[in-house]
Amino acid sequence: MTPDLKVEIAGVKFENPILTASGTCGYGEELADIYDLSVLGGIVTKSITVKPREGHPPPRTAETSSGMLNAIGLANVGVDKFIDEKLKFLEKYDTKVIVNVAGARVQEYVDICARLADCPRADMVELNFSCPNVDEGMEIARDPLLAEKAVASVKKVFGRPVIAKLSPNVTDVALIARGCEAGGADVLSLINTLVGMAVDIESFRPRLTNNTGGLSGPAIKPVALAMVNKVYKAVKIPLIGIGGITSYQDVVEFMLCGASAVQVGTALFVEPDAPVKIIKDLKKFLIKRKLNKITDLIGQLKEY
Amino acid sequence: MSKITVEQATIERKKELGNSYFAFEISPFSKVKAIKPGQFVHIKIPHTDIYFRRAFSVYDVHPQKKAVEIIFKVFGRGTALLSRLHPGDHLDILGPLGNSFAFPTKKETALLVAGGIGMPPIYFLAKELAPIMTNKSKAVFFYGGNSRTDLVELARIKRLGIRVVTATEDGSLGFRGLITKALAKEIDGLSGDCRIYACGPEGMLKAVDRLALEKSIPGQLSLEAPMPCGIGICLGCILPLTAGGYTRVCREGPVYNVGEVRL
Repeated sequence: MTPDLKVEIAGVKFENPILTASGTCGYGEELADIYDLSVLGGIVTKSITVKPREGHPPPRTAETSSGMLNAIGLANVGVDKFIDEKLKFLEKYDTKVIVNVAGARVQEYVDICARLADCPRADMVELNFSCPNVDEGMEIARDPLLAEKAVASVKKVFGRPVIAKLSPNVTDVALIARGCEAGGADVLSLINTLVGMAVDIESFRPRLTNNTGGLSGPAIKPVALAMVNKVYKAVKIPLIGIGGITSYQDVVEFMLCGASAVQVGTALFVEPDAPVKIIKDLKKFLIKRKLNKITDLIGQLKEY
Repeated sequence: MSKITVEQATIERKKELGNSYFAFEISPFSKVKAIKPGQFVHIKIPHTDIYFRRAFSVYDVHPQKKAVEIIFKVFGRGTALLSRLHPGDHLDILGPLGNSFAFPTKKETALLVAGGIGMPPIYFLAKELAPIMTNKSKAVFFYGGNSRTDLVELARIKRLGIRVVTATEDGSLGFRGLITKALAKEIDGLSGDCRIYACGPEGMLKAVDRLALEKSIPGQLSLEAPMPCGIGICLGCILPLTAGGYTRVCREGPVYNVGEVRL
């Protein structure tokens, strides 16, 4: 019997729990040169802002042990071009489209989501409260009341499910998670990148023009797992796990810790076809473990 | 059908070219026939903690053997670890990536300028141009480096049958000095249209860019930037455009018209 990889999150049906993470898959066009995007459970597009942004000057990425630092600075085409061109391109594929939205103020999230409310192919929005590479936005990530207000404001204008993406760069992630839940978030996704730094010992300068960047990749997986598990116990809404996922084993770990789905991020830079392999391997794992449904894994972590 | 593929291939041949330069022949690669001069492949260095792939311009292709050849110089840990691999070792190869050189028109003389490790894509272009050129004097291969040990595979370049001009900064081979000096001299003596193609160190590319703009000669430069993903999704390998904004070297490049990128 073929195991069932389908998951349903906030009423949205995904063919499998493997999504791409925002900022690591562009708007899908590049990955579509390698494989059919319809294999993905969903695609989370690069953060969009009201106006297009160029991002930070180079260098804005640096290789680190088991991961990378980035300070791209939310480079994106802006909401108008996104709706006119990028979303249209994604309509060809039979996968769920989650639009990641970023802003400096609550009103900007509201403005973008109001526009997206008229685009039926935007199945969900993911509110990026947590980009560590821009000056704005982090207050929402760190203030549960502001996060609650932001989610509630977006909920009023966007009629479909809203995901709040949480930052690990906070004192207590569960506190922010509860704030988002109180604001009416349908789903939480976590984690975004951790603030990090790399230094060039020849020039005595940081290796990124922004000085610091967001650390991602396998290096952050243990942090992400711990935070997913903590938030799983703190809220009732479903979670999407993010952080260093490169293999089916990683997916199983995140689901056991409470994630209903995952986003594959930095791994796409190294293995752009990682989701294809993971989906295949997950099926084999379920057969081996005699599990009929992948949802049987969610939150099944046995505590010591 | 996918334009780009990720495949497991094998190092079929390894050649040490001296002065930390190495050549690998890698096969099979199913997209070998589709590779155009100027394009590159992205290779994962196996069994190491090196996280990103490394980009290598394609030096040559052998469609019958489904083989791709690359040349690299050991610069950092990634290339050092790669140089320790042997025939029979497996590599994960992603490609073909990036854009490619536009061929010259029939009346244009192709001035092919290679500096040090920038030689591979220029050789591949010269190899593709050689058979379609009715007159071999319509192409000149300029090859420069610090010393003669930087001018690897010179015999193979010469076998293409086009004129080769060499320059070394220490004077150990060819002109003493920068290859761009030799190029400027050639341009001054040329009659008729020409087109420049260049790949090499930043200083050389800046000089070629300036020279081409000054003399209103069309041309293309193959540029380099650290490339985490190679396919355009990480936005890490950007360079500023002269017209404003940034370009992704791995996706819109690595080949740009002279004057297009702010070097």
